[in-house]
Amino acid sequence: MSWRPVKAVVGRELSKLFRQRARLVSAMVRPMIWLLVIGSGVGSMLEGQQQEGYLTFLVPGILAMTLLFASLLSALTLVYDKEFGVMRMMMIAPIAHYWIVLSKLIAATLTAMVQAILLLLLLVILGLIDINIALGLLPAALLTSICCAAIGGLIAVWSKSIDNFAVIMNFFIFPVFFLSGALYPVKQLPDYLHYIVAVNPFSYGVDLLKHAVPNVNTDFSVTTDIVVLISFSTIAILIACWRFSRESVHEPLFHRATKR
Amino acid sequence: MLTAYVASDFAIKTRGLTKQYGQTVAVNELDLEIKIGQFYGLLGPNGAGKSTTIHMLTTMTTATSGEAWIADQLVSADPVVIRGTVGLVFQDSALDRTMTIDENLQFAAAMYNLPPQIADKRIDELLSVFGLQEKRNVKLLALSGGQRRAVDIARGVLHRPKVLFLDEPTIGLDLPNRRAIWRFVEQLRRNEGMTVFLTTHYLEEAAACDHVDFIQHGKLQQGGAPHELIEQLGAYVLEINTADPENIAAQLTPLFGDPIREDQQLSFKISASDFNFSELQKTLGDAVSSMQWRRPNLNDVYLWTFCSPEQGEAV
Repeated sequence: MSWRPVKAVVGRELSKLFRQRARLVSAMVRPMIWLLVIGSGVGSMLEGQQQEGYLTFLVPGILAMTLLFASLLSALTLVYDKEFGVMRMMMIAPIAHYWIVLSKLIAATLTAMVQAILLLLLLVILGLIDINIALGLLPAALLTSICCAAIGGLIAVWSKSIDNFAVIMNFFIFPVFFLSGALYPVKQLPDYLHYIVAVNPFSYGVDLLKHAVPNVNTDFSVTTDIVVLISFSTIAILIACWRFSRESVHEPLFHRATKR
Repeated sequence: MLTAYVASDFAIKTRGLTKQYGQTVAVNELDLEIKIGQFYGLLGPNGAGKSTTIHMLTTMTTATSGEAWIADQLVSADPVVIRGTVGLVFQDSALDRTMTIDENLQFAAAMYNLPPQIADKRIDELLSVFGLQEKRNVKLLALSGGQRRAVDIARGVLHRPKVLFLDEPTIGLDLPNRRAIWRFVEQLRRNEGMTVFLTTHYLEEAAACDHVDFIQHGKLQQGGAPHELIEQLGAYVLEINTADPENIAAQLTPLFGDPIREDQQLSFKISASDFNFSELQKTLGDAVSSMQWRRPNLNDVYLWTFCSPEQGEAV
């Protein structure tokens, strides 16, 4: 197995990212709106010292949000490519089919990291965080991004068409984001929500990012975060690869033509 | 024993190849032997099992039972090796419309692990066959249907496959584009000597094949070389339009055998090459509203294979 096909898939995704300026800009604007509008809005309900603290508290959460959206959307090109036929070009290539999933997830991780780096740069320029904190956030961001790509991979291999996109937004992205401790400390949540947060792998990414920012309360230990993120990602990617290698998943791709 | 298969001059060989989707048998006990370098056509109506056959031979779907070999390699043994040996032009496009011809073909070449310099030369060569050098950096969206199909075919042969599968390559194209596509395929065959496996339901296009077979309801009906099949059918096809088909059929069946009947039209095969039609015309007289005789073609072979009175099927 050579790396050339993998590089081609990754290169295609990255060049699409830079070509779609609107996607890149919205990926920067969305977190800024959250940070400045929600951050200041909710912050205004808090008092003095806490106000500034909330903005700092939000930085890891907002960064995690960027990674989640970017990784997931990029992983979902597995479905998108099927819809528009390019998947056929990859399916007929002399590589094992699970490599298509792996390449797409590597691409998803990298596109998310590009966006995370741009966001961090913006935050540093705006003086919202220190450059050292930004650098400290990067390794945590990488693990979070892999975890999000793995979630995206799982969703993608089970979706038949991109028509399900709204469903995916409402039933996956929003719950995963809101029930993760990205916007509020987990410890203060009611018990039943606490359990949901604990089974959400994304929570551990958010928590690991919080560890990189001083004076932000965390909910789990660094070791717990890393172990959960790595184990979840490994298992999810294995399942996604296994499922994608089953041909019944691709029958619609070839059958649509025959049934016409 | 199937696995103890020895090297041969067959590019494609199948034994009892079968595909079932639930209760439906899409392809039923297919036995094929296609020699290296042949231009082979698998013909049949929509849903007859043509695409399913191609998908089994190119590892896009696995057979329910039976075996297939491509260039002496067992298809089920190593799908990755088979995918490196074959080229497949799908019925639907496999290209990214938002990317240029060059980007699409470079991407496809990388999927085949071709180094960039070699890919570049190969793309150049293929685009010049298809007359698309000028359009190399044009997005697919801006191309005509025929040009896009040509790029799809170029994509299918980038890696110089031993066997090229073309699944309805001209479907949805107008006549000039269809002709252009066939010129390209002919040129590719000449330049590279690859075996070509074609499915189509434009039968006149299959006349250039070395061998054609017919398939219906997943069952193969042995065919042969198109010109031989046409010769075997008879010297002429006689078509008669009449208000009273029963009577005419009763009159002529003893002479020519059972006709194919479509409403008020009867078609007969006539084997005698010196048959006297003007005599027949006089005999039938006013009973027919029109009558014409012509040399048979592949369409007639197809009709007589699938709709002949012996088959007991309506047209």
